[in-house]
Amino acid sequence: MIELVDVNAFYQDFHVLKNVSLAVEKGQIAVMLGPNGHGKSTVLKSICGLVEKVSGVILFEGDTITGLGSEKLVDMGITYIAENRELFPQMSVLENLKLGAYSRSARAFEKENLEKVFDLFPRLRDRRSQLASTMSGGEARMLAIARGLMSNARFLAMDEPSLGLQPNLRDEVARIIKQINDQGITLLVVEQNIPQITELADTLYVLEEGSISFAGSKEDALGNDHLKEIFLGM
Amino acid sequence: MDHKRITFLLALIWAVVAVLPLFFGGTNFIMHILIMCLIWSVVASCWDLIMGFAGIFSFGQVAFFVTGSYASAIISAQFGIPPIFAVFIAGGITAAIGILVGLPCLKLKGAYIALVTFAVHMILEPVLKGDIGRALGTGGSRGLLTIEPMHIFGYTFTTASPVPYFYLMLLVAVICSAIILVVIRSHWGTAFLALKDSQEFATCLGVSAFKYKLMVFALTSFLTGMMGGFYAHYVGMLSTRMLGIDLFVTLMVILVIGGVGKFPGAVIGAFITIAANELLSPLGPYRPITMGALVVILVLLLPDGVVGLFERLFSRKQHGITH
Amino acid sequence: MVIEIADVIISGLINGSVYALMAVGLTLIYGVSKAFNFAYGSFYSLGGYIAFLLFSLSFINNYFVVFLLAVPILLVFGYFVEKALVAPLRKRDDWEIKVMMITLGLALFLDNSFQVIFGSRMKSLPPFLEGGFEAGDFYLSHQDVGIFFLSIGGILLFRWFLNNTRTGMSVRAVAQNPAGAQIVGIPKEFVFAATFAISTVMVGMGGILLAQKYFITPMGGWDILVKAWVITAFGGMGSIKGGLYAAFIVGMLEAFVGWYFGMTWTLIVLFAVLLTTLAVRPQGLLGKWG
Repeated sequence: MIELVDVNAFYQDFHVLKNVSLAVEKGQIAVMLGPNGHGKSTVLKSICGLVEKVSGVILFEGDTITGLGSEKLVDMGITYIAENRELFPQMSVLENLKLGAYSRSARAFEKENLEKVFDLFPRLRDRRSQLASTMSGGEARMLAIARGLMSNARFLAMDEPSLGLQPNLRDEVARIIKQINDQGITLLVVEQNIPQITELADTLYVLEEGSISFAGSKEDALGNDHLKEIFLGM
Repeated sequence: MDHKRITFLLALIWAVVAVLPLFFGGTNFIMHILIMCLIWSVVASCWDLIMGFAGIFSFGQVAFFVTGSYASAIISAQFGIPPIFAVFIAGGITAAIGILVGLPCLKLKGAYIALVTFAVHMILEPVLKGDIGRALGTGGSRGLLTIEPMHIFGYTFTTASPVPYFYLMLLVAVICSAIILVVIRSHWGTAFLALKDSQEFATCLGVSAFKYKLMVFALTSFLTGMMGGFYAHYVGMLSTRMLGIDLFVTLMVILVIGGVGKFPGAVIGAFITIAANELLSPLGPYRPITMGALVVILVLLLPDGVVGLFERLFSRKQHGITH
Repeated sequence: MVIEIADVIISGLINGSVYALMAVGLTLIYGVSKAFNFAYGSFYSLGGYIAFLLFSLSFINNYFVVFLLAVPILLVFGYFVEKALVAPLRKRDDWEIKVMMITLGLALFLDNSFQVIFGSRMKSLPPFLEGGFEAGDFYLSHQDVGIFFLSIGGILLFRWFLNNTRTGMSVRAVAQNPAGAQIVGIPKEFVFAATFAISTVMVGMGGILLAQKYFITPMGGWDILVKAWVITAFGGMGSIKGGLYAAFIVGMLEAFVGWYFGMTWTLIVLFAVLLTTLAVRPQGLLGKWG
């Protein structure tokens, strides 16, 4: 569904991504691991139109989407969920969710998606009038994911969804990722080495120094010594 | 631009300017304009230093200039101090005021600093015109009409033969620009750039924001005030009309043309702007309209001014050679 | 004496209401796009001159039509200025300084164009409401009451827009978190241009509303810019609520100082109050950093 071919990305003059190629099949969950600061977020952001200097080819269901802005991409069903969450602090949970459905294609399904999202995250329904800035870390993370779902996305790029969460919340995040995927949404998740999430992966990628150093299934990963070195306890 | 290039360009500019009287020395009118160019080049460079390098949106430059000019005129009139000393004292007074203005700005950001410094500008006019001003000897709304001309070692500089004053101003301008150059090249300059990029990070590294900000306020207001003094003793009269919007706009145009943060762009900009101003005066009331339109076009097309244009041309040339 | 004080209070309230309208416009642009519009004062005069021009057309003789025409004209003008002059600068370094410079150039161009086209003599507009309330020596013109309600109405309309329309919500979103707005697919450039356009309407309307009292002059905008700026900084740049409170405080302060000490002192007192406030709260009354 999403394919990257020899993609290079730059922040100012800094060469972040170097000839990155990967593919995520429709309906799959792909997980990308790797050391911090090596460009994992940049891969997600490049797909979602949030990086200015990108070269190479990015395809969505066969169509080239390289260089398109986030407005168009969200409308097409590609949404980024930030590691920093990037919520609207002075707005309520409900307003944040409504803004998630800003794109034209999502507006029509706003009511429907709101119900879906509240079913997935009952706590958000309880706190619908609460200001986003007063939410705890875990709740804010849930809100960010929920807001992303409001865009009627078919592809979600999730950036470290379990960052800073306690172990029990991590289980919940993994559960939610599975549920979202069961509903037919394709996912590319960037994470630290979290067993619950890597378990779910159909494909695993490892990004080191801006290049893909491993691509394959979980089984392939288990047999790879280099990976075992970097990620103890895989 | 690296420091060596800046020094070279500056030296080149002054060398060219120094020989101008050979061509225009006979025309008082042109010499007069050149003297103004020299004065404004220093004032504009100071503004460039505080705004373009230190990143402080100070809009008090004109106010400091006017303060310095009035201070120098009053000091020489009321205390009998020779103008050549009065201008330095005026510079000192202006520097003190500059520090006073800078103090509240230390904790402020961006547009707030602009507002506070612009406030100084706005308040200056009623203060100079009103009772306080008259008590100090500013001549109220009439202004000052007889200011002692500059004299050194018995020689009096008059507007009747401006060439000597031109060379005096050239000397002053060269020294002032050298001072600014030294500041930029020194660790001050590095500190400013660091503060401008990210104040929080620089402060963590031990760069004392307060100290450097106050210093830059003090230096730029000293030099500007001093130039105000030189202006007063040359032109011979002062009025609060200088505080109108025209001077402010002229300074800004100089930076637009020269390039912000691109020293010595302000110097080049001063000469071009003042010359253009004169060339366009036949346009009468259409002149400011044209200037306004020019500013808009220049900011869009030449974002870094003339110096920025040179930089781009040179870097392209370099790439051509190495590839 | 009582009547004098009543006059002062009313004058403060009425001016405050118009200041509020204009301050909200300025704080809006700053809060959303961090741009500073140096031509804001010229837009004030522009509003007045547009109304003047419309009135000089023989078939227009009532304010309702003037407002109806002036609003879209100002809206389109503001939108165009943002797209042509401000948006291209955003990608450059030092863009805030460059925006100030380009808007200063625009102000110069506009002000002097007004001078050339309309001359430097003051222009006036007819009042939109005649007559007033009388109670002994006390007189309150209907015009003043009208100005007050129109300004407040404008602000309330704007508040409704912010909270209840999709564009309004997108404006708030961009102001609160530009990165989040981009993630959600809000077209930032459009929001920047729209807010600029809206602020142009607000300050232009201020120019029309006050034209009858304070006349229209080519350079009259600078006082307005400074005042709006002071109010916005005082209330906290980017805070609409702050701007509202500040506007009324300044309006009242100005009225009282002007009455008691004379008009020349008003500016000094205003700046003194501003400086003291900023010394204690560098971000203004209700401003937030970031």
